[in-house]
Amino acid sequence: MNLVLLGINHNTAPIEVRERLAIPAGRLADATRTLLHQPGIREGLILSTCNRVEIVTLQDDTLNTETTKADLLRFLHEYFAVPPHTIQPHLYEFREREAVRHLFRVASSLDSMVVGEPQILGQVKESYTIAREVGAVSSQLDTLLQRAFTVAKKVRSETQIGSNSVSIASVAVDLARNIFGSLQGKTVLLVGAGKMSELAARHLIQHGAANILVANRTQARAEKIAADFNGTVIPFDEIYTQADRADIVITSTGAPQKLFGRSHGQHFLQRRRNRPMFFIDIAVPRDVDPGMNEVEGCFVYDIDDLQQVAASNLADRSREAAAAETIVSDEVEKYQQRLQSRDAVPAILALQQNAEAIREAELARSAKRLAALTPEQREAVEALTRSLTAKLLHPQLTALRESTRPKSKE
Amino acid sequence: MSLLWLRVAVFLYGIAALAVLPAALYDRPRWRHIAIPATIAALLFHFVSLVEMLNAAHHSLPVDTHETQALLGLILAAAFVLVYWRYKTVSLGIFILPICFLFGLVPAFRPGQETTPFPQFHTGWIFLHIALLLTAYAALFLSLMASLLYLIQERRLKQKSPTIAWLPPLETTDQIALKTLLFGLPCMTAGLLIGSLIAQQTIGPTYFLDPKVLLSVAMWLAYVGMIYIRRHSGLRGRRAVYLSSFVFLVVLAVWAANQFSVVHRFTTP
Repeated sequence: MNLVLLGINHNTAPIEVRERLAIPAGRLADATRTLLHQPGIREGLILSTCNRVEIVTLQDDTLNTETTKADLLRFLHEYFAVPPHTIQPHLYEFREREAVRHLFRVASSLDSMVVGEPQILGQVKESYTIAREVGAVSSQLDTLLQRAFTVAKKVRSETQIGSNSVSIASVAVDLARNIFGSLQGKTVLLVGAGKMSELAARHLIQHGAANILVANRTQARAEKIAADFNGTVIPFDEIYTQADRADIVITSTGAPQKLFGRSHGQHFLQRRRNRPMFFIDIAVPRDVDPGMNEVEGCFVYDIDDLQQVAASNLADRSREAAAAETIVSDEVEKYQQRLQSRDAVPAILALQQNAEAIREAELARSAKRLAALTPEQREAVEALTRSLTAKLLHPQLTALRESTRPKSKE
Repeated sequence: MSLLWLRVAVFLYGIAALAVLPAALYDRPRWRHIAIPATIAALLFHFVSLVEMLNAAHHSLPVDTHETQALLGLILAAAFVLVYWRYKTVSLGIFILPICFLFGLVPAFRPGQETTPFPQFHTGWIFLHIALLLTAYAALFLSLMASLLYLIQERRLKQKSPTIAWLPPLETTDQIALKTLLFGLPCMTAGLLIGSLIAQQTIGPTYFLDPKVLLSVAMWLAYVGMIYIRRHSGLRGRRAVYLSSFVFLVVLAVWAANQFSVVHRFTTP
């Protein structure tokens, strides 16, 4: 059977094309079922995310290369009502070993827009579950996908590819965790209301921050945000008396002057008995005097600092990606070897069965002459003939197994 | 046999000390799965070795410097395992495990020949006195290391350079630093009280004038003072390291005072 992978992704197709081929989760089962009904397709899986649509199929050997591609293209055209000429320029195709490599890379998040992002593995698993449910994945594709999950896990555990955050909001969370450890029960003060600050606050809450205080010049806006986060509004002119209640302060006002200076930091720390405070200053112009960072226990990060950390983390991920590629290559090699040795199994079994049949027939022919033997002697003859057969077969079986192994490079 | 177990323990400490480097510095779980079991196995062998040594009739307590170091290594390793169990950080192992290895190495291959001529020292009380004080020293050392880690992590965060995965969060290191001190205080207090009672019985009231005893009292006061300051002012970072370092120097002075102490010179070569 032939393994064929056909798809488009963020590198090959613009969003206008990707969105026309995207399959909502609710329709994935139906799409997979339709794919399975295409001629010559034995097993199949569709992976549809915002960055890619890929079709992995296992097809009959009888189909030639051009037919299989045309059939899959026709499926895409018919199912999505997208003309082939719209899809074709963006389409990539991988077969056999390269298809295995691509699938391993996708599952390991090496082919993602943000290398190392963790969602893709979950999306592949979701597609796999749906394909299994509709009976589109059974034997060979099942083994391949299970292997892809193992490889992805190995890449995650043996490299640092996913360990550093690359978005501003998650960098802020990471920094907060580097200061406070767990964010459980931590208090966050939002000074001003901006999209970014709300996003950062949401991330902090997702990681355990419990108490949200909101201060905004417009009371109504403060109340709305507080209601969204189940938080408490504090009057804007009380921020200097109440800010020390917060472990994390996110500022994003449009104030032309700095709201918090170095002396404020010293004052807050004194009131907090030196418990650290983390200031995330997303405002431009900045709300927090950078000099406050020099106060022991105060940590001030402005938007540039956060972006710099994110960029540095991204560079780290790229370095780790090289190590991950090596793991993927090794795993592709191992998978291919396993496939090839599996091809030899039927021949080996047939040879062994044939030899056993001959041995039993010869023993039956001599049954009369062996009738006088005691049970122990009979047992000895049985063992002797079995041993002879095994020894005679040994060179042939070894040669068969060797023939399935890839030739080492000269 | 006690020497054999000690050698096995030292070998395992060595493995753990090496494995903890990739485990902590590069956050490699596979190495952590070597470092922690190796430390626990080393602890067991070390403990067995100690028990066998104490069972030997002629040698019921750590007498010479090397043996005391080995016992201190055992306590440090136990403290490291406890910290790992409670805080899930192996970072302290970078400092502690090589020390455990070195503290065990000399007594494992060149055992002390010194012994004590005083029969009263063959009691559990003197061993308890030594073990409790060594535990307090280990707690202080651990606290100092945790404060140093705090300082490094704080600097990294202040410099806005990408954070290092192997450094525990500031609050965790602060907790380790403070809680180890709090654990060390009752150990030191009990250890000094037991020592005082033994000295009172064996030497009489003059024991108090011994330089080591006087320094020990100063050490206890410094220890209490440090805990008071840390707890009540929330002292962290650089100043906490200075304070811990000062008390640690006092502890080293107390240790070194054996050379001038009459009360503590009870070994014969």
